[in-house]
Amino acid sequence: MIKRILSYQSLLKLSAAAVLAYFTWLMLLITWQYIPVRFDVAFLKLKEPIAYRHYQVAFFGHVYTSIVVLICGIPQFSQRLRLRWPAVHRWAGYAYVGLILLVAAPAGLVMALYANGGWSAQLSFVLQAVLWFWFTYRALRAIRKGRVGEHRDFMLRSFALTLSAISLRLFKWGIVALFAPPPMDTYRIVAWAGWLVNLGLAELWIYYRIDHHLKI
Amino acid sequence: MFRLVPLLSLLFLISCGNPTRNDSAIVEVEEGTAVPATEVVVPPEKPDAPTADPVAELEGFWVGDFENADEEGKSLYVDEGFYWNRTNKINISLDQIAEGKVTGHSVVAGNDRPFGGTYTAASGGGYTFTVREPGDDRYDGTFSFTVKDDLLSGTWEAYKDIDISKRTYTLEKKAFTYNPDVMLEYNTAFVDWTKSVEKTSTYDMGDEVEEWVTTQFATATDLIYELNASNELLNKSEVENLKRGDLTIIRNTIYARHGYSFKNRPLRLFFDKQEWYIPVHADIRADFTEIEKQNIKLLLKYEKNAAEYYDSFGRG
Repeated sequence: MIKRILSYQSLLKLSAAAVLAYFTWLMLLITWQYIPVRFDVAFLKLKEPIAYRHYQVAFFGHVYTSIVVLICGIPQFSQRLRLRWPAVHRWAGYAYVGLILLVAAPAGLVMALYANGGWSAQLSFVLQAVLWFWFTYRALRAIRKGRVGEHRDFMLRSFALTLSAISLRLFKWGIVALFAPPPMDTYRIVAWAGWLVNLGLAELWIYYRIDHHLKI
Repeated sequence: MFRLVPLLSLLFLISCGNPTRNDSAIVEVEEGTAVPATEVVVPPEKPDAPTADPVAELEGFWVGDFENADEEGKSLYVDEGFYWNRTNKINISLDQIAEGKVTGHSVVAGNDRPFGGTYTAASGGGYTFTVREPGDDRYDGTFSFTVKDDLLSGTWEAYKDIDISKRTYTLEKKAFTYNPDVMLEYNTAFVDWTKSVEKTSTYDMGDEVEEWVTTQFATATDLIYELNASNELLNKSEVENLKRGDLTIIRNTIYARHGYSFKNRPLRLFFDKQEWYIPVHADIRADFTEIEKQNIKLLLKYEKNAAEYYDSFGRG
């Protein structure tokens, strides 16, 4: 009999959870810079549209809700949670879906229109905001109709885009460390890579049913 | 036991600090270059009294290398192409020469020091000067020089026991006028720092030059030879893609055009190599044009952002 405690799979899952927890911690630190509301910190120093009321609402709405969305999304993929405490899965899910559909995605769309980096970066962020909303909405609709498989697939896509908050910054860090390109070139690259890579991985995950093999 | 590994690594990473922002990032703005919030009123200079004495023709700026006379002195090597024995560009300004007396000031390495003394006609032609600095600054001393055949050459000796207490120099007379159009010259004699950074070695000089070379100059691109922040307003799109080294050099080139004498050692080394550069002032706060003030503000904004966020886990 194989001892479960030394299971390779559980170690893998735990490591993945630890990595996610670390980057979520970094996202918390980034969010922390914007508390209390100030218009002259960090990223905002280079954003002229912050002078507009609607941009201010969109920016702070996006920042404050997205961190909650990220935190609510992480435990949802645990089979153990879904089986033992389905109510937790449901309520965390409502928070995740509600905050994306009502605040984070629409606010992201407004911000996308003013993105640094010109039309290319703007187009990327607009697409991302629209797809984020769409995937999340499809996942909600699927589970309301009891179609669990479809719910799972669209949630995987939705969460892939949620994680772009982390991957975009991670890619930026990696590209700068390796090639040190000029800052705005880097930004244009990660504006696309930050979510396309994630979505590609999610599609592979769905296609090969990786979650079935891993029993997540 | 194995289950603790991810948890422990997580705790370790969290304890390693905050990679989302570089808190130790410093963008240096020397006091003499700070754009003032209010206008600085400068008293107009008194016009010189006309004089017929030919020695008065020597009045003006004498510019050249202020060399370390001590052969054992500390020096800096960068690759094979560059060797810095702590020579700085000096400007000895003879302000008034008449009736055996001379007054003036010297500008070097961010120091603007007055001096006064006497001169006599030298036996072999030309004039010999001996002038003294006031002595209330640690780096004050005595200049002894001869002006002959359009060259001013001599020695300087410090009053106090400082790092380099004796210097020699041979200077040429140069006129200074502020020219907003002057650009950095792509001096081929100048070391390609980008290629030689790894071979940089400093001897007992602190790390500031090496640090600047790796974080600033090595990151600069050819845009430093193209963008002029003195004669046209830069816009966001021209500045947002600049790397930190570009931003720093383009901003400091504004100061160099005004003849600012840099305290910062790497910047001084860099601008001393420019043929047109003459250190004239230790304080240029009142000299900026409106265009320059706005460009400095814009460049500093991006420079600070680059210093804090360029290589962090974040957007910047």
